[in-house]
Amino acid sequence: MLLQLLANGIIMGSVYALVALGFALVYNTTKTFHIAYAAIYMFSSYMVLSFYKFLQMPLLISFLIAIFLTMGLSILIERTVYLPLVKKNSSLNVIMISSIGVMIVVINMIAMFYGNETQILNPNISKSVTFGNIILTHTQLAQLVISLMVIGIFITFLKYSKFGIKTRAMRDDNILCTVFGMNINRMRLSLFGLSAIFAAVGGGLVAYDVGMDPYIGMPMLLNGVVALIIGGVGRFEAPILGGFIIGIMQSLAVWVFSSRWQDAVTFSLLLIFLLFRPQGLLGEKQRAV
Amino acid sequence: MNYIFHILIMINIYVILTVSTNLLVGMTNLLSLGQAAFYGIGAYLAVFALMVLKLPLIPVIILVMIGTALFSLIIAYPSLRLKGDYFVLATLGFQLIVFTILYNLVSVTRGPYGIPGIPAPKLFGVMQISGLVPFLILSLILAIITIFVFYKLVHTPFGRALKGLRDDEIAISSLGRNVTVFKIWAFVISSAFIGIAGFIYAAYVSYIDPTSFNLDEAIFILAAVLIGGTGNIKGPVVGAIFVVVLPELLRFVGFPDSVAANLRQIVYGMSLIVLMLYRPQGIAGEYRLQ
Repeated sequence: MLLQLLANGIIMGSVYALVALGFALVYNTTKTFHIAYAAIYMFSSYMVLSFYKFLQMPLLISFLIAIFLTMGLSILIERTVYLPLVKKNSSLNVIMISSIGVMIVVINMIAMFYGNETQILNPNISKSVTFGNIILTHTQLAQLVISLMVIGIFITFLKYSKFGIKTRAMRDDNILCTVFGMNINRMRLSLFGLSAIFAAVGGGLVAYDVGMDPYIGMPMLLNGVVALIIGGVGRFEAPILGGFIIGIMQSLAVWVFSSRWQDAVTFSLLLIFLLFRPQGLLGEKQRAV
Repeated sequence: MNYIFHILIMINIYVILTVSTNLLVGMTNLLSLGQAAFYGIGAYLAVFALMVLKLPLIPVIILVMIGTALFSLIIAYPSLRLKGDYFVLATLGFQLIVFTILYNLVSVTRGPYGIPGIPAPKLFGVMQISGLVPFLILSLILAIITIFVFYKLVHTPFGRALKGLRDDEIAISSLGRNVTVFKIWAFVISSAFIGIAGFIYAAYVSYIDPTSFNLDEAIFILAAVLIGGTGNIKGPVVGAIFVVVLPELLRFVGFPDSVAANLRQIVYGMSLIVLMLYRPQGIAGEYRLQ
């Protein structure tokens, strides 16, 4: 029983890590508290739904189209909302509030077109495999493998490619990057596009497992943010660690209390970290006070 | 006529919510996403005072104010040490924890089933306040008291100190003022009045359940303040009227209810985006969010 819960926790954690990494990619570099990321996450699962179920396309192709469209949405938001605000020298709070506005607009547009009710992507019960005492469905295995693959590719990319070095430079100092002749606005565009890939892959994978409604984005975003804070703001490996910790903690919460108290455990963890270790587990020492 | 009375009562409730939230957002530059938690705590405390303790009107209000203020103290002290995004996150975490507790502690709050049949409050032990007109008068009086208190507060040395630390925290602390104490007081006063709004809501609707006090409501309250405007009294009042009247207007235009709900949210979202871009002080406010 404990092993099974642990396995479920690790699989859920891999999805949290994926989503948190996308959020961290934007937050660490541009300092944008990208709440609209919740809507981007939800948008991708509805795009998969449209192409796979309504237009009867193959699953893989609908996934790829959904990822591209989600990137488009993210870039559109950056160009029409965030960049004009940054050019006006708006404070980070102003950008966060406008991000809330974007989230509300996108969620309700989707709700208007697709309805408020839950939609199912995969009506069949997924086949399962057994490893000793642990039973995993094929969907769960796909979630684990694809998440780990995307995370792995991205971390390697970040370490060795030129773009990755630029990204880490931007994390350290935006202004200095401009001084050295980097085109910050183009970097921002690529970062927002890239972050949407993480949201889209995560959104598609979860939606294939449990279906979707227009409001699934917010809980996932909150888990991602908690993963980021627990791991530590600043390092890109940190949200991955945080994601797995939250996934496992939530599974254990089911075991110790009941599934109703999952959220309470997650957010108590957030408050504990905010108060006693605001730099997170891996973060560099900095004053959040 | 009853319909108009109902809208006026809702406006009064939201005026109390926005005017007291403005003390944090517009006067002290503390962006709180936990306001619905205090609204909910106020409502549940009011239910406790009315149904279990069977108190009359004025003691209920006093108990709700003190109770909500004490709860806010628990969150104010630790979270006010944090800055910027971290403060917003702390209030958000608190909001979600309070909601989870209200929703899941079924033995105390009846959870998702809600609490029906909340009795009408009694004035001086004789006059029952029930029906639309008495509630309109009660909510109007409480809203006016709230506006009066916050209007006066701005012009006291305390209010000026808050505005000062909003504009330049280091300057105020270099003048020998304890910034944290001022912030805690702002937090506690604001929460105490938000508790009153919870009381009116619970007593007027006579049924509460936790979904009226979730994160969406917290975002909604914050949006109302920011749309109306921050930094003065006029702004939040305009915001409260805007967010309560707008859905009714949309209904008159003839959208079906299912679409109207989403459409109204889209209007709120768009107004937030447009205002942040072109008018960060809101429709009638005077302080540009920093």
